[in-house]
Order: sequence, then C-alpha cells, then structure tokens
Amino acid sequence: MITLMAAFVLVLQIAMVGQRWLVTNIRVFAAQSFLLAGIANTIAYFNHAPHLYIAAFLTLSLKAVLLPVVLERLVKRIDIGQEIAPLVNVPLSLLISGGLTTVGYVVADSFHHPEDLVSPASLGRNTLAVAISLFLIGFYMMITRRKAIMQVLALLSLENGLFLAAISLTYGMPLIVELGIFFDLLVAVMVLGILVYRIKETFDSMDVSKLSRLRG
Amino acid sequence: MAAVLLFGILAVPVAAGALAFRARSRRAMEAINLIGFAALLLLAVALAAQVLRAGSVSIWNGFLAADSLSALVVLLTAFVALACSIYAVGYFRDDERNHVFETDVLRRATISSLHQYYSLTPLFVFAMLLVALANNLGVMWIAIEATTLASVFLISFYGRATSIEAAWKYAIIGGVGLSMALFGTILTYYSAHHLVETETLAGLNWSVLVLNAPQFDKTTMKLAFILILLGYGTKAGIAPMHTWKPDAYSEAPVPVAAMLAAAVLNCALYGLIRFYVLTTKCLGPPFASHLLIIFGLLSVGVAVPFVLVQRSFRRLLAYSSIDHGGIMILGLGFGGALGALGMLLHLTFHSITKPLLFFCAGNVEQHLRSDLFRRAKGGIIHSMPVSGPIFLMATLAVTGTPPFSMFQSEFTILRAGFGGANFFPAILMIVLLVAIFIGFLVHIAKLVLGADPGLPPADSCPWKKYSLIGLATVVVVLGFWLPGPLFELIQDAARVVRGE
Repeated sequence: MITLMAAFVLVLQIAMVGQRWLVTNIRVFAAQSFLLAGIANTIAYFNHAPHLYIAAFLTLSLKAVLLPVVLERLVKRIDIGQEIAPLVNVPLSLLISGGLTTVGYVVADSFHHPEDLVSPASLGRNTLAVAISLFLIGFYMMITRRKAIMQVLALLSLENGLFLAAISLTYGMPLIVELGIFFDLLVAVMVLGILVYRIKETFDSMDVSKLSRLRG
Repeated sequence: MAAVLLFGILAVPVAAGALAFRARSRRAMEAINLIGFAALLLLAVALAAQVLRAGSVSIWNGFLAADSLSALVVLLTAFVALACSIYAVGYFRDDERNHVFETDVLRRATISSLHQYYSLTPLFVFAMLLVALANNLGVMWIAIEATTLASVFLISFYGRATSIEAAWKYAIIGGVGLSMALFGTILTYYSAHHLVETETLAGLNWSVLVLNAPQFDKTTMKLAFILILLGYGTKAGIAPMHTWKPDAYSEAPVPVAAMLAAAVLNCALYGLIRFYVLTTKCLGPPFASHLLIIFGLLSVGVAVPFVLVQRSFRRLLAYSSIDHGGIMILGLGFGGALGALGMLLHLTFHSITKPLLFFCAGNVEQHLRSDLFRRAKGGIIHSMPVSGPIFLMATLAVTGTPPFSMFQSEFTILRAGFGGANFFPAILMIVLLVAIFIGFLVHIAKLVLGADPGLPPADSCPWKKYSLIGLATVVVVLGFWLPGPLFELIQDAARVVRGE
C-alpha cells in the first residue's frame, strides 16, 4: 500500500520533469504533496505514531493547498510566459531522471539490514529509494530550469523527498522539529516569492540565466 | 541564574527587533539597536563566566543548553553584532547624505530602508544565537535556515539589479545546501533511533546523542556526515559550494556583510562541529579528518587565483573569508588537541579582525563611490588619514602576519598538521597562504599608498572613525595579550570539539 503510493509520488516527480507548462507543474506538485500526506496518514495509523497525523495534516494544508495557491497567484500576477523552457530537452531529461532513480535504489540498498526487521526501515526500502530519487531529481530540476519560479518548485519537491525519507525511516522527526521545518518552508516560499516578483520587476523576465552580472 | 541568562540572550534581540519595527524615527531605531546589542554582549559575557565557573547550563529539559563551545560562539556573535551596529549608524547616515537610497520623496524612502535594516538585523542575530543555544539538532537546523531567511532582504537592501541577483543566488544555493544538511540530520536521527528513545524531543538532543554515538549505525553515519559537510559547508562558504559568497559580500551593506563573514561563518562551522564530534565518536577520527582536509585545502586553493587577479576590494574580502573558512576546516581536520585549539583560536581571532577589514573597505567604498580597484588611483591614505593606515594594518592582521593574533592561530593549526603526520597538506597550506598574503597585500598597498590623487578629505564621521579606532585597538591588543578567562573558555571549547 505505502510502496504503491510512494511509487505514484515518484511517477509524479518524473511527470514534473516531463511537463512543459508552469501551472500544470504546480498542480502536479500539489498532487504529489497530497499523496505524501496520505502516506504519512497510513504510516501513522499502522504504526501508532499519533504525531504523524499532525505532520500529515500540515502537509495537506500547506503543501497541497496553500503553497500551490500562492504560487499560482504569483504566476498570474506577474503574467509570465507559460512555457518552462528547460535547458535540457524533455526526452533526455526523462532518461536522466530514470538514471537518478536507479542511483536512488542503489544508495537505499546500502541501508538494508536484514537483522532489524522490526525497525521502520523494513517498512520498505522502496520508500527510502523513492525518497532519495525525489531528492536527486529535485536537484536535477533545480540545475536545469531557468524560470525562477520553477527553481522554487524544484526546491519544494526536493523537500518532499526529505519528508518522505523522514517518515519512512523514523516515523518522522520529533513534532516540534517538524513544525519548525514547516514554518521555515512557509517563510522561505514567501521570501522567494517576493524575490521572484522583484526579479521580474528589475529584469523584466524570470529567466535566472539573465542573473549573470556578478562574476569573479 | 542560568535560566535568566539563556532566556535573556534570546529575548533581547527579539525585543530589539520588535521595538525597532515600531519605531518611527531614525534616531530611535539606532538607539534601540545599540542598547539591545550592548545588553546582549553583557549577557553573553555573563553566560561565558557562568559556563567557565559551573560547567554547562541548560533549561527547559535541555531544550536550550550552553557548554563552553556554545558560550564562545554566543560571545563572538554578540561582539560582532555590537561592533556592526555601532559602525552601521555612521555608515547609513553617510548613505543618506550621499543619496544612495532611490526615490525622490527622500525622507520616506530612507526611513523605510533603514526600518528594514534595523528590524531585520536583530532577528538575524537572534537566529544565530539560537543556532548556538539549541541542544536539539533539528532545532539547530531550523535556526540556521532562519539565518538565511532573515538575511535575504538584508542582502538585497539596495535594490539594485546586482543586489537582487546576489540575494537570489544566496537564497537558492543556501536552500539547496541546507536541504542536504536536513537530510544529514534525518540520517543521524535514523542511525541513532534504535538506541535513543525516539518520538520525544530529546531523541535529537546533542547532549543525549553524544553519549550514545559509539553505537550508532556506521554506514548511515558516514553518509550523514558527508551530507552535513556539504550542507553546512555551503552555509560556511567552503569550496566548491562558495559561489554565493563573493556576490553576497559585495552587494550587501557593509555591516551586513561583516556579520555574514564574521558571525554566520561561525554558526555554520558550529553546526558542522557538533556533527563532527558525533562522527568521530562513531567512526573514529580518520573518516571525518580526510574529508575535512580535502575540503579545507580546496577552499584555501580556490581563493588563491581570485585573490591574485581581483578587481573589487569587497569581493577580495569574500575570497579572504573563503580562505579562512578553509583554514578552520583544516584545523578541524588535522585534529588532535592542537588542531581543535588552533581552529577555535582562529575562529575567535577571525571574528574580531574581519569586521575591521570590512569597515575599512566600507569607508573607502563610500568615499570613492565604487569598490573597484581601477576607479581608485591609489593614495587613499592622503584623503583618509584614519581608514587608510588601519586598512593596511587590518590586511596584515588578517593575512596572518606576526605579531597579529591570526599568525598564532595559523601557526597552531600548522603545528597540528605537522605533528599529526599530515605533512603534505600542511606544506601545501603554507604555500597557498603565502600566495594569498602576497596578492592581498599588493592589492591593498596599491590602493592605500602612493601619490595623492587629490580627493577631498574624508574620515570626518565620528561613528565610523571611532568604531574603526576602537576595533583596531582590540585587534592590536589581542596580538600581544589574550585575556586569561577567554583563553580558558577557548581551551574548554576545544575539549568539547575533541569529544571529552
């Protein structure tokens, strides 16, 4: 069940790599966060980790609803071209994401301890592999996307990978830490959103490859 | 007593930030910052004294805790914050006089810009203090991320296209780096969670983890340390993750740049040290040492070409800071009693000397209205009789020339290198440092000395002048006399680094 949902999360991440339209990308991210909240709920239910319900609720309300709405409004407000214009073309990007997923599985394999079957790790090496893949693909998107807002989205999906790693490895971090991370994330998106707006105003474009005046 | 101190240290900057946010006039904001940071320094000194006398203190079930290492970082942060806030008064008044702030409705634009500076800076300082005082490694990560978020708008302060570019790079590179550090923190938690009670807050407390470190899962801990080194290394500006640093340091207002260079660097390294202790306890010293030596040499090495052919003196300072971050990492990597001691001495001396260098550079930049060497025709000393000579002296101090204190700390680190059979890295370090010394000194000497280019006299603003003279006095005195209690604190902190 969890493995299946985790697989869907990965599929959505790769869909994000293949997607050319900005608004669709934001919605894919929202769907991915929604699934993550589902995974967190499932783990909370089966492993009696009540504090995970709160994390799941926060994921749902913040990452699946609030942040996508904010980002979409930002897109509308600054009225940018909808296409993403990645640096690497889509088929090659998909191929690279496939490669990164393999890397994720190889790395996750090194964590496998046959002896501790009761530990949460037994909940699925698959989940951890998915988490590491999300992290790596998020990185890849960060590097290859030129639109400032896409970089913000890539950073968020990278963070989704971390959240998945945290809940699948250890049933999540202590609650107050989890709350702090959510708060930081919220502030970070606001700060980056304001910066995106100012970049657009100053450079009349959101193409971060135009941010190249500082050298040496 | 301990509770009052720890709570007070965190509460004072928050209160100062809130008051400055409500304040209406420039004078009030300046006064709030000055008084706040002066009170903070007093509290920090009291905390250091308390820790020296009675050992570590903690409150709220160990949520906030201070051992000698935390106390040292808090003390340095408070010192840098106070020095910067004194300098900032003069710096921003000059900016106002020079009509740097855009908008023609001058008065209002100035106030809102200053408002941003004076209310965000205390928050920025608060985040740095929380890094040092949080016992929980997760909370520490949140605080380090908060230092980034609080300083983004301080870097884009002037609103130029270049400063927005610098702020964007800073936020994005910092965000990616810190996500790696968060992954490292999660993995550390995972490698420990079968020993420590999880799902309670204490499960991530450093003071609890350090007792159980030898039984951690070894493979996981290796990966965790690599991620932490990359993550907090990005925040500290260790090569090859240093690319945000020259941009941010040259675009931010001088007091902010000085705080980034002298205080944030400490916080990032502090985070790294906490994990370093866990890793060495779990895996033995060699694993972490090798990695640290490689990254340290790389940082010092990367700085060399950029120092030699640098065109802007603000960016020159950034490369100097990358170089010093590398030296500290090397000290940690060389290890042993001397390595840890040398690293912390260097950290202390660097935090005190670097702001002086930034203040001098700021004065010269405001005088010339540019930070490019080619705009300056040399001979700054004729129009700036105070900033000029002090700039030259600070350059000598920061490049580790005897008798200045940074020579002693670099020498200690080198001795640790030769003593610990890291012969080749230590030799390489000497060569690179000499190259940086030559490049740095040639640049600054050309700027300061030479024939009079006939600029109008400067150095009249008392705030800028006396903050410079005061800090320069501290730097000179430290070359000859390190106060006993401070040295004791550093020695104590070195024991923490070694995990004793």
